[in-house]
Amino acid sequence: MVSLTRSGDRTLEEKEALLGYALIAPSLLLIAAVILYPVLYNIYLSFTAVPLSPAESPEWIGLQHYQDLLGSGQFWSALWTTVVFTFFSTTLATLGGLGAALLFNRKFRGRRFARGLVLLPYVAPLISIAFVWRFMLDPLYGIVPYVGSDVLGLYGGDIDLLSNDRTALWSVIFVDAWRYFPFAFLMLIARVQAIPSDMYEAAKIDGASRFAQFKDITLAELKYILATVFLLRWIWNFNKFADIWLLTRQVETLPVYAYTVAFANYQHGQAAAISMVLFLALIGFVLVYVAWILDW
Amino acid sequence: MSTKSTYRHTVDSFKNALGLGNQTIETSLYERLIFYIALGLSLFVTLFPFYYMTVASLSPESSLYSLPPTLIPDELTLTHYRTVFGPETFPFLTYFKNSFIVATVTAGASVLVATFGAYSFARLDYKGRGIFSRGVLMVYMFSGILLVVPMFQVIVWLGFVDSLWSLFITYLVQTLPVSLYMLGNYFRSIPEEIEEAAIMDGYSRLEVIFKITLPLSAPAIVAVFFFTFMIAWNEYLFASIFLESQGVYTLPIGIEALASGFHQVWGEIMAASLLTSIPLIVMFMYLEKYMVEGLTFGAVEG
Repeated sequence: MVSLTRSGDRTLEEKEALLGYALIAPSLLLIAAVILYPVLYNIYLSFTAVPLSPAESPEWIGLQHYQDLLGSGQFWSALWTTVVFTFFSTTLATLGGLGAALLFNRKFRGRRFARGLVLLPYVAPLISIAFVWRFMLDPLYGIVPYVGSDVLGLYGGDIDLLSNDRTALWSVIFVDAWRYFPFAFLMLIARVQAIPSDMYEAAKIDGASRFAQFKDITLAELKYILATVFLLRWIWNFNKFADIWLLTRQVETLPVYAYTVAFANYQHGQAAAISMVLFLALIGFVLVYVAWILDW
Repeated sequence: MSTKSTYRHTVDSFKNALGLGNQTIETSLYERLIFYIALGLSLFVTLFPFYYMTVASLSPESSLYSLPPTLIPDELTLTHYRTVFGPETFPFLTYFKNSFIVATVTAGASVLVATFGAYSFARLDYKGRGIFSRGVLMVYMFSGILLVVPMFQVIVWLGFVDSLWSLFITYLVQTLPVSLYMLGNYFRSIPEEIEEAAIMDGYSRLEVIFKITLPLSAPAIVAVFFFTFMIAWNEYLFASIFLESQGVYTLPIGIEALASGFHQVWGEIMAASLLTSIPLIVMFMYLEKYMVEGLTFGAVEG
């Protein structure tokens, strides 16, 4: 690739190119070794039975793991839980972010400071967030069950919101939306502020109602950024593991399912197949979404 | 745009130019009331858990385990903090130290490797650059859960199980794409003429990088450092499988072990949670401006 002239000198372009390769090489080597290789290895593992002892090599069993998955009720239920969790936590976080962005579009004293405060759930460490919510949802002394059941009487007491079958998923969805709405807020606020105010002025003069202004100006202007925020959050929520796992063991999404199969049952080959299905389902969703909704 | 609004716009412009503009927002008292209620509610929902964490960490056992829950404590106590810092119950300081070492080393290495890589993407011209830089972004599609099984095998093979090296290598590579992206964007925003002028003056490319580009990029480098620090500080998935003994636990693993090992230790858990949050919140307050870009790009598995 590098041609040396007779005197051994290189041209300036060649030197630049060489330096370019030299500077990017460490990044590329690391990514190839610690991301690309594991991803390819994961594909291989999903077709094998992985023995417990690392000294023995995996045994090729073809599509067995995938066939087992398709016939397993636990797998389909985990897939459904993943879709429900992802859809509602993503929608709630996006709507929450939109609401906050519209509120903060208005000038008020202390706006900059308040904006920093709104980002706190997203900035604080996950472990702290998970445990403060577990404390607040604690069935004996938690403040949420106290207010919800003793004060407001919304439901009969004695329900552990995080371990009850029917409420665990919704509690996790709510906490996740609470933690990640600041992301949507950050993405949207800049775009909201960029909508020219004369558009609203003009609409007002033309007699458009508040709702019409919101629908025809705000939403129309924010359509693409909203769709992008939704897609990004969808991707991340679909793969979510720690946020769910640290709150409760009752919500089994595909990542949680893969984790327990791998590290509680030690079936690494089966777990590799689950994570492959997770990945393919996500890619499938992204392609359909981009083609049909974003219309790129 | 309608003629009416053009007319209105023109009139307003003249008014503004003459200093007659009506700058205050014309809203009724009713509207303002609704606005402040909505704002107050949003801030309440956002901030209440943090307030409650603080109060619980400072409340005596008697008020933690009684109903109704204490919102404004009658008496404050540092008992929980003493337990957290004392060596008897659980080695919080060891966890803190481990997390700090992993996060600092990861962030330092990530900045170092990514600075060179990002400069190469931003300024140097060579075959394959476009594919490389787009490929690095594509890597971002691979989630932690997809990597966790094969990475476990790799870490076992390398003999890094139960050592902080396993986390260092994993976090370094997982944060590289974000670092490359953020630094690359920043380098591209520096006017190329400055560097060209230095080359005319006889600087070599490496001298340009060290003497001109890096000093100009200090804000971005600091932001990337703290951003990767934050990702390493938060990580749970890989740490939960690579680490086995208490001596190497990081904060997320250690606090989880405390919660599952004991009953009714909410005061201690809240104190530990608050102490874990402080480094990130302090950094964020100082660096908010720089971190917003990184946050919108999203953490690894944000």
